Amino acid sequence: MKRLRQAINNSDISRFRFHFQLFAFGLLIYGGYLAIDFGSNYIPAFACPFVETRGGTCYLYPLQHQLNMPLSQLFSGRGIGLLTGFITFLLMFVLFNKAWCGFACPLGTVQDWITKLRNRFGIRYSTYSETVFSRQKNIKYVLLALLLLLSLGMSNSLFGMQKLSGDFSTSYCMICPGRTVLPLFTGDMSQLVIDFSSKTKTVLTGLGMAVTGLFFTGAFVKKRFFCLLCPMSALQYIFSKAGLLRLKKDGMKCTRCGNCYRVCDVGIREIADDLESTMIVQDDCMMCLKCVSACPEEGCLKATFLGLPVYEATEQGFFKRMGGRS
Amino acid sequence: MHTERFERVKKSTNLHFTMEADEALRKIEDFPSNPGAMGYFYDLFRSVYANGGSLTHKGTIIGTMCVQVPEELILAAGAVPFRLCNGAHAFDQAGAEFMPAKACSLARATVGMLHINRSVHKERLGMVVVPATCDQKRKAGELLREMGYNVYILEVPSSKNSEEARHYWQNSVKRFTAELQHLTGRKITKKSLGTAINLTNEARRQFRRLYNFRKISPPVVYGKDALLVSNAYFFDDKERWLQALTDLNNELELKALKGESVGNRHAPRILFTGSPPVFPHLKIPLLLEQSGAIVAADEVCSSTRMLYDAVAYDESALYDMIPSVADRYLKPCTCPFLVLNDDRRRRLKDMAGQFAIDGIVYQIFSGCHLYEMEQRTIAKTFADSGIPLLFLETDYSQEDTGQLSTRIEAFLESIKARKRRK
Ligand code: SF4
Ligand code: SF4
Ligand code: SF4
Ligand code: SF4
Repeated sequence: MKRLRQAINNSDISRFRFHFQLFAFGLLIYGGYLAIDFGSNYIPAFACPFVETRGGTCYLYPLQHQLNMPLSQLFSGRGIGLLTGFITFLLMFVLFNKAWCGFACPLGTVQDWITKLRNRFGIRYSTYSETVFSRQKNIKYVLLALLLLLSLGMSNSLFGMQKLSGDFSTSYCMICPGRTVLPLFTGDMSQLVIDFSSKTKTVLTGLGMAVTGLFFTGAFVKKRFFCLLCPMSALQYIFSKAGLLRLKKDGMKCTRCGNCYRVCDVGIREIADDLESTMIVQDDCMMCLKCVSACPEEGCLKATFLGLPVYEATEQGFFKRMGGRS
Repeated sequence: MHTERFERVKKSTNLHFTMEADEALRKIEDFPSNPGAMGYFYDLFRSVYANGGSLTHKGTIIGTMCVQVPEELILAAGAVPFRLCNGAHAFDQAGAEFMPAKACSLARATVGMLHINRSVHKERLGMVVVPATCDQKRKAGELLREMGYNVYILEVPSSKNSEEARHYWQNSVKRFTAELQHLTGRKITKKSLGTAINLTNEARRQFRRLYNFRKISPPVVYGKDALLVSNAYFFDDKERWLQALTDLNNELELKALKGESVGNRHAPRILFTGSPPVFPHLKIPLLLEQSGAIVAADEVCSSTRMLYDAVAYDESALYDMIPSVADRYLKPCTCPFLVLNDDRRRRLKDMAGQFAIDGIVYQIFSGCHLYEMEQRTIAKTFADSGIPLLFLETDYSQEDTGQLSTRIEAFLESIKARKRRK
């Protein structure tokens, strides 16, 4: 048992993650071919239903549909649909917490591939200044709020406004890069159009096209560019504290050497500088555990599942991974 | 006339220095059951200091005045890093011509040495890198430039807590990289830097092995030996040093397995901190261990602070590796030149626990305001911990030895009495 744990702690999490992501991508994008379908299961990652052959369903899609109901029906059958949908999402999420983003979300994986490509070309990445970073943190919550309100607004008059037209149905999906990018992997380019059937749709799908362009260029210059704006990430974070998989820190053992912050793709500074929190997952964190693998202090950072350590920072593991590189 | 006088001073200073070094080595070796693998280090110091500490390396040598200089970059540019920080009283006296009597011994001795032995050093040192850390080092840099050395001032932020400070430092390191390449005419590549990082990280890995052996109680190695090993890193060929330390570690590992130990089983375990002990000025650690204590851990820039942290980078490309190297020198730094130095307090506290420390000895070189001023906060940090502290203000002369030894003995007695009561 001790040997196994040591072997795991000595392992290269990034390599494992790369392969796991590949596997998850196959499952969630092409699973349909093998009649694998988590489809009835709503998952907390962008397994987009606009992909015909998918093996799972992004929860934001049903969520937007289910919210499109008069509030008076909240306690009727439709309300129950909303509730069970939410519960499935929550159960799936709680299991792996934000590791859905680091290990399974197809859109996250695509961004990591783009990063690899950039690195191959020897082109440097850019980073945000702290002010930009903190300002842009909020965008995903705004998107999430809009997503909820616009869905509700079609069947209810909110804030004394008129009910919105049905063209706002799954309005977030219209601007989501999941819809335009992921079907490309099955050779389906049909989403790459602007829908001129109504004014609302023209604007939304036009925005969608712009977002798609931004998605590719963004991911090329900034690691996980889109994730920092993702409303799914915002929704997840609300429940992150309940996750069974956790990222923990022991501030007493931390030397603030900054290695963890150095390697973090999304630039989470707290991972190095926060010495108080023991549950250290921040809203932009994707639980890729790169920080754990870069921490040289025994047990300072660790991932736990139901309280049991699954991957832990060790001096030996650190030097093993860092030595003999390049 | 003038040169004649200088030659006389030079001769006598170097003679005094050799005697001093000899005396220190004699004391260091005068302990029972020294590890066989320490022989390499004793011989190294003897051979190097018998002829005045000459620079025998091939290629361009870059002198460094502080641990803040990123040695990976120097190595990657095909040069040899050589830490100049000096610990000799003879050179301290020679430096009195340039720096005030109230300046710190270490800075003064370094300037003195570079003055006395300027003919070789000016020829052999391609550059002297002076990080703008404490006042003494900064002004020493100006003095050296006047003496005709090719001085490079490496700008360092005075705090490490903001992102701005971090970027300022990263840019400073980038400029330094360009200067190094200019000097050696060799381009730093991702391959050469990768090799340099591997080498230094391996050195730190072995250093940490030694560091961890020092946690064992009863102790398997004396602090004086550990300090000598890290002091050797200042000037020794890195690969050779690495091999010698690996041998020492392997020997200590066996020793620990067999349950062998050095000194008294119940020797008070001391954490040494403050101004850095640099050979031959290992006065206080030696006095401690001669009086039956064990210097189980140190938090000084001539040892642990120099060799504990390793570089971690993400992408194998210069744009990521160079800032990673820069981060290694700023983020974990606990030098008191930094403002808001809570990390030093935390580090000491953590070490006191990990090494089962009985008492802390805090060396302050007369004239070093920074360490002197942090004295209060460190004392406060340990106020309720039951771990006593001893502050010792000293310099490189031997005049205070008697007085120091009395205070040290009293301190150790009180620790022993406390341990007995437990
Ligand atoms: S944050 Fe990134 S990885 Fe997570 S759900 Fe959104 S797109 Fe996917
Ligand atoms: S378009 Fe985006 S939000 Fe909508 S279902 Fe697809 S991935 Fe989810
Ligand atoms: S890598 Fe570990 S020790 Fe270093 S700052 Fe991060 S958590 Fe602290
Ligand atoms: S904080 Fe750690 S787990 Fe979270 S994204 Fe950054 S490196 Fe990954």
